[in-house]
Amino acid sequence: MTVFKTFLKVLRSCKGTVILYSVILILFAVLNMKSGDNSFNFIAEKPDIFIINHDQREGITENFIHYFEENANIVNLKNDESAIKDALFYRDVNYIITIPSNFREDFLKHKNPIIEVQSTGDYMASLSQMMLDRYLRFANVYNDTFSSEEEVIEHLTDTLMKTVDVQVASKLDTDHLTQVTNYYNFANYSILAGCVFVICMILFSFQREVIRKRTMISSMNYKKYNRKLLFSNGLFAIFLWAFYVLVSIVLFGTSIFTSHFIFYLLNSFLFTLCALSIAFLIGNLIHNREAMNGIVNVIALGSSFLCGAFVPVEYLPSFVLRIAHFLPSYWYINTNERLKTMESFQLETLKPILMNMVVLIFFILLFVIITNIISSKLRRKSA
Amino acid sequence: MFFHNFKYSLKTLFRNKMLIFWTFAFPIILGTLFNMAFQDIEKNEKLDIIDIAIVDNDFFNSDSLFREIFEVLGEENEEQLFHIQYVKEEEAKELLSEKQIIGYLILEDSPRVVVNQNGISETVFQSAVEKITQTSEIFKNVSEKKINDFIEEAQGEEIGNYNSWYAEIYENLMESLEEESSQIRDTSSENLSYTMIEYYTLIAMTCLYGGILGMTGMNQCLANMSNNGKRVSVSPISKGNLIFSSACASYIAQLVGLLLLFLYTIFVIHVDYGSSFPLIVLLSLVGSFAGLSLGIFVASFFQSNENTKVGIMISFTMLGCVLSGMMGMTLKYVIDKNMPLVNRLNPVNMITDGFYALYYYDTLNRYYLNVVSLLLFSFLFIGISTFCLRRQRYDSI
Repeated sequence: MTVFKTFLKVLRSCKGTVILYSVILILFAVLNMKSGDNSFNFIAEKPDIFIINHDQREGITENFIHYFEENANIVNLKNDESAIKDALFYRDVNYIITIPSNFREDFLKHKNPIIEVQSTGDYMASLSQMMLDRYLRFANVYNDTFSSEEEVIEHLTDTLMKTVDVQVASKLDTDHLTQVTNYYNFANYSILAGCVFVICMILFSFQREVIRKRTMISSMNYKKYNRKLLFSNGLFAIFLWAFYVLVSIVLFGTSIFTSHFIFYLLNSFLFTLCALSIAFLIGNLIHNREAMNGIVNVIALGSSFLCGAFVPVEYLPSFVLRIAHFLPSYWYINTNERLKTMESFQLETLKPILMNMVVLIFFILLFVIITNIISSKLRRKSA
Repeated sequence: MFFHNFKYSLKTLFRNKMLIFWTFAFPIILGTLFNMAFQDIEKNEKLDIIDIAIVDNDFFNSDSLFREIFEVLGEENEEQLFHIQYVKEEEAKELLSEKQIIGYLILEDSPRVVVNQNGISETVFQSAVEKITQTSEIFKNVSEKKINDFIEEAQGEEIGNYNSWYAEIYENLMESLEEESSQIRDTSSENLSYTMIEYYTLIAMTCLYGGILGMTGMNQCLANMSNNGKRVSVSPISKGNLIFSSACASYIAQLVGLLLLFLYTIFVIHVDYGSSFPLIVLLSLVGSFAGLSLGIFVASFFQSNENTKVGIMISFTMLGCVLSGMMGMTLKYVIDKNMPLVNRLNPVNMITDGFYALYYYDTLNRYYLNVVSLLLFSFLFIGISTFCLRRQRYDSI
């Protein structure tokens, strides 16, 4: 009990850091939650567009703007230059369309008025460009064919209303699973940083020269002492894991309880054990409080960045992913990513996930063995 | 005496390993991580060639419009939009479930698109099919109108072959729909890479973290902070001289760290700081000065131990970094837009925003506004520090 009590005492002094990591995780998850409907019906993506209109909003100009209002999200911005420039840079809008002052008149006179655009160059901007291009081409064809503006607008509107029937084949709620996957991916950082930081701090406190000497001469058997220390740290790690799982249930509601959830649980549990083993390794290796702080940051941030906890895996360059194979986080996140698109749970489809878990277990064993070798060497050295 | 103290201050600062790690090495490590994680993110946001399938049935083979347009869209050139496989329906379903394609098109009485999920590629596919359906609608309307016109003009005379008219109208239409559009002019700036903001916040962070050097340097001169401070306080040197030489040493150490980071980001990570070299240097000097003044302020204003002071420095800097977009540049934008005053007062953002203005803006007003704000910030903090430090004398401590 003495060991456990001391453990709790040290733990209390670290609570600020643990709360910080948890708040970051929750903040990330909340920011990530979109109020999306179920995706069994197809919903077309809408680019964010800002329209600067120098013309009167009448006739074909009105129709032009109306078309974008229907098919894109029109963003409201202050009409000053720097606000518009900033919006484009920070991707608040994907595409800015400037309608010249005499657009309607020039268009009806077949003068092909020039539309100025500014684009972010990403896929939403390409989609906007396709929409604009289509509108102008169709409008020109009708303008060449019909003489009156009303006829042009009527036919143009009719034509642009023709849509295509789109079916969604997959019966998987990908939006929901994506959110859950993102949460557990980000938890990679919180679990790793939280576990490693706290456990290192605790080990550090117990290994301070005076305290170590005091326990060495005490009547307590060192095996029992080690066992209690291991048990307390393990208890903390499991508590942290359970807390993050609980947070995910609170955030995503009861809809999280699918067969996927069991695997998210199992996977994050294994990863927590892995973080625990890493913490023991570092705690045994480093005996300088300040250096530890640096190392914890580098390890947690490093493996989170490289393995796709912050930036989606599909955006990472392939050489980074190759390096990431050497880190346990990669296998943890890989499992989450696979779960995101998994439709049926059969042995065949589960195989890669089970393999990832085996790799995690392998990492845990590896870290435990290295820790044992190092600590036994250190003990001999100090004795 | 100035140089004596300057030299030893510099030596002590460079020998403090933890200090050097946080102010020199940590930004470089963070920069490396940013680079590894972000280098492909913008490339991936461009439209890739999309894998689709088309069900090769009688409806499709008899519809020349669909066939021809998809042939063009699937041609291997710079503007290729789709990579198309022509297969039987069963095969298309299988390809979709194996996620080798994002969707397939099946023509029956009307065209139908089948996809796995919502998404941008799926929308582009849907949009392309929609465009073809709409084109055929245009063809119907235009040919109807033209043939009516012809008949009216001909007024009972021999009107020749309808089919050749259709062919002509069809060809004209396809031509006008395929030719390059001259009506859209793209005037967007080339400097639109938003990941640059991450590196700018990194520079800003280094500038302000550098303040920890200034703070440590100051603590060496303060009698209530260190033994060294007690010793130098009883020596017959003016306090102004002592503090000034320490501050200079810290500033130099800070600039060395910043220079390393600049060299690293420019030559290894290839960060684009805009084209005006003297202005980059000016902003860095002023930014570091702001960091130094913050360090001196924290050292002299707060009467607490060194750990607390470091804590104050780090939390202030990190909060500033977060607000100026280090953890996602959207936050900077949201705050700039909705609470402009917060970021106007945030020194980290003044530096970040200064670099952003140099990189993205054509005019220099915004840049100079940031430089002036930084100078005001620095002088204000140095002013307060001087006020706190003057006439500090101890009879015993």
